Amino acid sequence: MEPKIQNLPILQVKDLNLTFNIARGKARVLAGVDFNLYPNEILALVGETGSGKSVTAKSLLGLIPSRSKQVSGQVLLDGNDLLSMPDKVLQSIRGKRISMIFQNPHSSINPLFTLGEQVFRLIRLYLQDEIRELTKKAGIPPTEAVKRIAKEKFNEVGLRDSHRLFKSYVGQISGGMAQRVMIAQALLSSPNILIADEATSALDVTVQAHILKLMTNLCRQKGTAILFITHDLGIAAQICDRIAVMYAGRIVEIAKTKTIFSRPLHPYTKGLLNAVPKPGREGRLSFIPGMIPDLVNAPRGCRFYPRCDIARPLCREKQPERITVDDDHEVSCVF
Amino acid sequence: MMIMRCPVSSETTFPLICLDQINTWFPCEKRMFGKVSSWVKAVNDVSLDIFEGECLGLAGESGCGKSTLGRTILRLAPLYSGQIRFLGEDIGRLTDKKLKPYRAGMQMVFQDPRASLNPKMTVFEILKEALHLNAGIQKKDYFEEAVMLLNMVDLRADHVFRYPHEFSGGQQQRICIARALATNPRFIVFDEATSALDVSVQAQIVNLMGELKKKLNLTYLFISHDLSILEHACDRVAVMYAGQIVEVQKARDLFLSPRHPYSKALKDAVPVADPELPYAPGILKGEVAKLSALPSGCYFHPRCIFSRDICGKESPEKCRMESNTWVRCHFHEELFKQGMLFDSKESV
Amino acid sequence: MEKEAFDILSATVLKEHRKIKWFKLSLFFRKKSAVMALAILIAGIIMAVLGSAIAPYPDQGLGEVNISERLCPPSAAYWFGTDTYGRDILSRVICGARVSIFGGFFIVICAAFIGVPLGLWAGYNEGFSGGLILRIVELFLSFPSTLIAMGISLVVGAGSITALVALIIPWWPWYTRLVMGEVFSIKRMLYVEAAQMLGYGKFYILWKHILPNILTPVIVVILLDLGPAIIAIGLLSFLGLGTQSPNADWGLMVWEGASNILDQWWIAIVPGAAMFIMVIAFNLFGDALKEILEPDRP
Repeated sequence: MEPKIQNLPILQVKDLNLTFNIARGKARVLAGVDFNLYPNEILALVGETGSGKSVTAKSLLGLIPSRSKQVSGQVLLDGNDLLSMPDKVLQSIRGKRISMIFQNPHSSINPLFTLGEQVFRLIRLYLQDEIRELTKKAGIPPTEAVKRIAKEKFNEVGLRDSHRLFKSYVGQISGGMAQRVMIAQALLSSPNILIADEATSALDVTVQAHILKLMTNLCRQKGTAILFITHDLGIAAQICDRIAVMYAGRIVEIAKTKTIFSRPLHPYTKGLLNAVPKPGREGRLSFIPGMIPDLVNAPRGCRFYPRCDIARPLCREKQPERITVDDDHEVSCVF
Repeated sequence: MMIMRCPVSSETTFPLICLDQINTWFPCEKRMFGKVSSWVKAVNDVSLDIFEGECLGLAGESGCGKSTLGRTILRLAPLYSGQIRFLGEDIGRLTDKKLKPYRAGMQMVFQDPRASLNPKMTVFEILKEALHLNAGIQKKDYFEEAVMLLNMVDLRADHVFRYPHEFSGGQQQRICIARALATNPRFIVFDEATSALDVSVQAQIVNLMGELKKKLNLTYLFISHDLSILEHACDRVAVMYAGQIVEVQKARDLFLSPRHPYSKALKDAVPVADPELPYAPGILKGEVAKLSALPSGCYFHPRCIFSRDICGKESPEKCRMESNTWVRCHFHEELFKQGMLFDSKESV
Repeated sequence: MEKEAFDILSATVLKEHRKIKWFKLSLFFRKKSAVMALAILIAGIIMAVLGSAIAPYPDQGLGEVNISERLCPPSAAYWFGTDTYGRDILSRVICGARVSIFGGFFIVICAAFIGVPLGLWAGYNEGFSGGLILRIVELFLSFPSTLIAMGISLVVGAGSITALVALIIPWWPWYTRLVMGEVFSIKRMLYVEAAQMLGYGKFYILWKHILPNILTPVIVVILLDLGPAIIAIGLLSFLGLGTQSPNADWGLMVWEGASNILDQWWIAIVPGAAMFIMVIAFNLFGDALKEILEPDRP
């Protein structure tokens, strides 16, 4: 089922740079991140630890708390730069047009309130029209209307026993159910974009399968684009339309899923794909020697240079530009 | 004085470890005078043979008891009943003192490399602690032996005096492997040893494990929830659910033709890094069985889409298939013949 | 190969580690509050050590009476004035520093020597002995410590030494509880399990693996406790249960000057201020140390 990908991106990230001031110096965590997110597509942001993927997601919404940081670049949502917006305006966007779900549902949902309390509050915040409709047309009191909407939303994510759940606390339910609640909350306002930051990494494999299916179905239904951050190439391969590979704060390759797997161009992408065990493959797994560079004293040229097996002296000097190889296939490498 | 490590050329069929009806139960609630009212049954009636020189995988999701099983073999978890035989000797009931000489023979590499190394001790001290247990090495040779161990895991000699936090995750795990090798063991349990590592580092560690196994003729129990790694690195794989082993098969066979409905569900749920292969996770009803309140009969029956009446009443027996492989399911023959457990696109 | 290689390797790596330690130390000295606190502490310790040797009127510091010059306000001769018996306040403060500061150290260190091992044991073994220790600790903790100390002093008899011992008794349970909490979190760490796997026994594990990893928070708490200890000693003396007249003691001086507080404020305020300054110095020092040793903890 290939969704229609329109040509106008709903989110454009241009040259996003983020530097943290730490005791040792300045750490350039993001060094020029560029990508587009189109409506109703699922884009995977793949990278290992230290690549900067979580930081990218958080900075899109302005969620990085530290004061000693410098941000530059543009994050355009329908043409409006999110980075230059005052916090009040940004708040109205968070949750409404861009939602986010996190890795550990048990720590992302407030353990002090019942699930019902939290969901009802969100419904009252975002779904005023629906509430009004129900109260006026069907003459149901508002509290009842809210409950009914909540039940409907819970059913959408596959949670049947709503009444019991409304009274429960997050510590009383399993990880899979908690993640469903998070998804329900995130998709309440039918946002344009859903950012999933390692949303299934803490779940069992079978539960993960369900949650992935749920997310993809719901989002296709509502037309929400998903930015799926993960380190698991398997998930990226199976549910995502496009994949962006990140290394040391830069996106090194971005292309359609099939293309990345059949014709990877960047040496890092190739190395990553070779390191993943696939059923039926014999012999040793290949790996990438070396470690990610120290972000405080990052090399001037291509950041992958020390570990690249086709490197030339040119790579050490210059940062490689983004080259558009094909329709929708972009690489940051001199070769 | 270095220890000679003699590789064995051919694969023997000698069971290094025999587990006979192992139960590891943890007391859940205690009444006033020590009478336990309910138990958490982490390992239930597990009987398994691990053969010398093989790498046995242990798969399952969280809460199925696989880590507990690994720890039980190493006597780190309390054995409730059953026998553990290591090289023919029953070590299940030995006191700590009598157990000490056997401890050198079996070691473990844990999941979180950062937490497995004492942050206040240097690498040398950590290795010394383990070398202590190796009867064949004298104190004056500790340094030389430590350097040799580090070289074996591809770490440099000047790492010997550093602290664990100065290393990356992959290097820390190598130190843990070096520590496990220090006592000259025959058997190593890897408890989710690669789960906390990045993909490329994982590959390095798995390769290292394979090399060491061949060079030193080791036997491994590789516990993981990642079926792809298990299929790649192991000879046989056992699938565990609710404290029981529901299937043991050769690794390739498990992937191509799983015999137990749970194995199939587990295998299907793993997203493979190949967009051409189909991703069609089966439907598993309900939640994972609680180890403190296990269902009657076959533990999997409340969630199994093929379950029938008998599944709730009788616990299925082990049905042996080829050498050293078996399944616990009332209907595995039937399901196999009907091809219910195959993917529609794959051939037998 | 062995011996030389050993030496060379250890030398190079140790040099690196030393560099890191100097860096951490320099972080400490960058904080003005920490340096000031350290200066005050050093001054206090010098006062305590040298005592009457540096007091301008040593005999008065120790108690000799000088009625002719009683109740003199601060002046050139008597920097902080004199008290109701004509004794120089400054000398009394310097001589009294010994009891307060050393007394504070004594209480805290003794309490630690009792409380920490008990905490280690109780935290690691959750059996009968552990439970027993926990119950005792809870019992002590449910009463305010000064009340217990007062009770003991009353029964045994007043005096500086008895006051100190009386304060140690309700003090150690706090350390036990702190240590038990720390041990619970360390106990689950995988390196403890690894040591068990290697066959090491309880005592070895407590000594080599658990204690070094809980030492840092314990040391910080001990330092931060010195302030309250000084106040506690002062309180007991204030109530007449600690140091007896005519010996100098800050708390005692405050009591003696309390009745004259409105007219001759210096008699009570000066020793009170001395206590106050000492306590703040210990707190700042402890905080700065905590930041260096444990930057991640709240």
